[in-house]
Amino acid sequence: MTALGEVALWIALPIALWGTVLSFAGGRAARPEFVLSGERTAYALTFLLLLASAGIVAAFVGERYEYWYVASYSNRELDTYFKVAGLWAGQRGSLVFWTLLLSVFSSIAVFQNRRRNREFMPYVTGTLLAMLSFLLVVLLFADVNPFERLGFTPANGRGLNPQLQNYWMTIHPPTLYLGFTAFAVPFAFAVAALLTGRLDSRWIAVTRRWTLLSWFFLTNGIIFGMRWAYEELGWGGYWFWDPVENASLLPWLTATAFVHSVQIQENRGMLKVWNMGLVAATFLLTIFATFLTRSGLIESVHSFAENLKIAYIFLGFLGTVAAVFAVLVVYRLPLLRGENHIQSFLSRESAFLFNNLLFVGIAFAVAWGTLYPLFTEGFFGQKINVGPPYYNRVNIPAGLVLLALTGIGPVIAWRRASRRNLRRNFVLPVAAAAVVAGALAGIGVRHWAALATFAISAFVMTVVVVEFVKGTGARARISGEGRSRSLFNLVRRNRRRWGGYVVHAGVVVVFTGFAGSAFDVAVTQELAPGESLSVRSAFGHEYVLTYESLSHSRPRSGARPRENDWRWTALVTVRRDGERVAVMRPERRFYPVMDESSTEVGIRSTAFEDLYVIPRDVDLDGGEDRVVFEAKVLPLVPWIWYGGMVVAAGALISLWPAGAAGTRGAARPPASALAAGRAA
Amino acid sequence: MKNPRFVVGLVGVAAVVSYLMWTGVNDSMVYYMTPAELLERIEADPAFGDIGVKVSGRVVEGTWERSPGPAHEFRVADLEDSSVVFSVRYEDVVPDTFNDRAEVVLEGKFDAEGVFEARTVLTKCGSRYEAAKEDLAT
Repeated sequence: MTALGEVALWIALPIALWGTVLSFAGGRAARPEFVLSGERTAYALTFLLLLASAGIVAAFVGERYEYWYVASYSNRELDTYFKVAGLWAGQRGSLVFWTLLLSVFSSIAVFQNRRRNREFMPYVTGTLLAMLSFLLVVLLFADVNPFERLGFTPANGRGLNPQLQNYWMTIHPPTLYLGFTAFAVPFAFAVAALLTGRLDSRWIAVTRRWTLLSWFFLTNGIIFGMRWAYEELGWGGYWFWDPVENASLLPWLTATAFVHSVQIQENRGMLKVWNMGLVAATFLLTIFATFLTRSGLIESVHSFAENLKIAYIFLGFLGTVAAVFAVLVVYRLPLLRGENHIQSFLSRESAFLFNNLLFVGIAFAVAWGTLYPLFTEGFFGQKINVGPPYYNRVNIPAGLVLLALTGIGPVIAWRRASRRNLRRNFVLPVAAAAVVAGALAGIGVRHWAALATFAISAFVMTVVVVEFVKGTGARARISGEGRSRSLFNLVRRNRRRWGGYVVHAGVVVVFTGFAGSAFDVAVTQELAPGESLSVRSAFGHEYVLTYESLSHSRPRSGARPRENDWRWTALVTVRRDGERVAVMRPERRFYPVMDESSTEVGIRSTAFEDLYVIPRDVDLDGGEDRVVFEAKVLPLVPWIWYGGMVVAAGALISLWPAGAAGTRGAARPPASALAAGRAA
Repeated sequence: MKNPRFVVGLVGVAAVVSYLMWTGVNDSMVYYMTPAELLERIEADPAFGDIGVKVSGRVVEGTWERSPGPAHEFRVADLEDSSVVFSVRYEDVVPDTFNDRAEVVLEGKFDAEGVFEARTVLTKCGSRYEAAKEDLAT
């Protein structure tokens, strides 16, 4: 199986190159048989990459340690679950996995559009195949072939980094990669639009769901990563402004800007060049993120500057794509002129434009901070880093304005908001914000950013709820349906709009969760068995933690204990306001083969706060049973995860195919009307 | 873009973001050096040792032992030139992936005796770590 996978990778490259040439040539020369052949190439590549990926997985599961990549990221003791995840545990496998996902999405896009968008398809297919060719060249020629053999067979592999042996870490990279690769489809359509000169909103309408799908995965991927950091890294935070985290945030920021700005193009025929810029920037940033995560251009806790060859190849590719795209945009500038102007400062266009400006501004600031060591080294010969305070300084105010815009944008009128429009939509929400701000200030909250977050959250939440109530009420009156029935139909008839509102509501919950960090409390204390420590939460609860005992264990693999996994488990009972509420088992693990330890924190989550217990220091020789504990009470952290789920649900509502749930028939305008509407 | 109020708004946002970036950089910047660069710099200008810096290197094998308690001493060498070495003191619990071969990033400054007082110790994450062929042979 593994040998077959290796062969598949070698066969894939010439096929991808051939398909690229055929597709572009077929488009230019109007030769449908070439185009058809190019499209079939995409399917063939998917099959070959499935074989290659299966080959890698088979090598992991079959414990084939003669392969360098397999020996580096697994050993015999590892659960099968983590062996399978070995496919994306390191750079080499990740690149294959990335390529596989891209080929799958390419095939779906080709299949879905093969009849509908004939004029675009040769170039869409060609662009996607060119991208696949590039990745295959990297895989085969940049010293990252996952099938490279060691030349000898070690008795056992080195094992998987303990920090990566976590549920969230197994699903975080694939989710992010799904988001990255799905965005190649809108980009390919943008290229096709530029090449064919069909620059109305057609390409945007066709790829709307792809963009949202990508956004859905990116958002989830980032949140899964935060969750992993929170549970596994054991310091009680979820975001560190590490270059690798930033790299995944950058395409998300520009993609979010794009999701909003395309609505201006569709409704008002404006911002065409800007949208081209955003789609290209997002696509390039997805590549940049992959490459940064898995190469080591920037010194980061995640990356090593080992393989510079791949850095040059990737940067060269990014530069070439950016240059070609820029030339195309300049060439097509006459067709990209806006059809309207912004008429008023107080209008939805204006709100969306500021939204875009802020997203791009944040992206710029984050990129600046991330790349700052490189700039300063290049220009002054000295690397200078910036830390979390830099990012917070810029992003907290910008984020708060954006949060306010999530409430303003959806309900302010297009073109020019009348006084009546403003009064009708904003009096109640502003009042809600004032009440919340006043109440919190009244009970002594002085942290300005947290106060602002809660007040703005109240504003946005009120806007969203009022919209739902009004919409449902109006529908119920007109149709005579019951409340819940009309809510359901309301959402179904305009998924994009109502799904968007749900996303905004989720974002509010997430931001509220972030603001909770202003009220974190922490206590560090060394305890002997039987001793206790106490910590009082921001909500006034008193937690008393009693350290009962320490036990040592070695989990078994089959019949024998694992040699590379020793565990010291502390038994801690938790009393909250005098009442016994939980028993925690925070743990330190030691992996003698790697000479590394890992911490499994204890987390007790309630609706409003997490109790987070870190066994900071345990004597791993087993001589002593005193343990240094750090206990933190982190308010509202669970809201980040709840909010993330609401955001995901909203995105799903927005991107769900309109035809699937029974809106067929009378409710749907005939296709000709749709086409006419789009052309208008 | 004909509306002047609009232009003012756009320029205003850009100006505020730039200002926040500028002050943010100034308040949180820290030199990021290799041990060779740092020691050379201090030799030329001894006062430089008092400035907080980030320095990356590798822990020298055999200079650190796993022990409980929040006090650690070890030596760190330049990644490229292993003859450039300095002593480090760290008064906190070392990270999970720390060991006496770890690649580390330290933040801190030198004390009067020339020992680097680390305020933070970070180890490089293993997600991209590929075992060297020789390591796998044993």
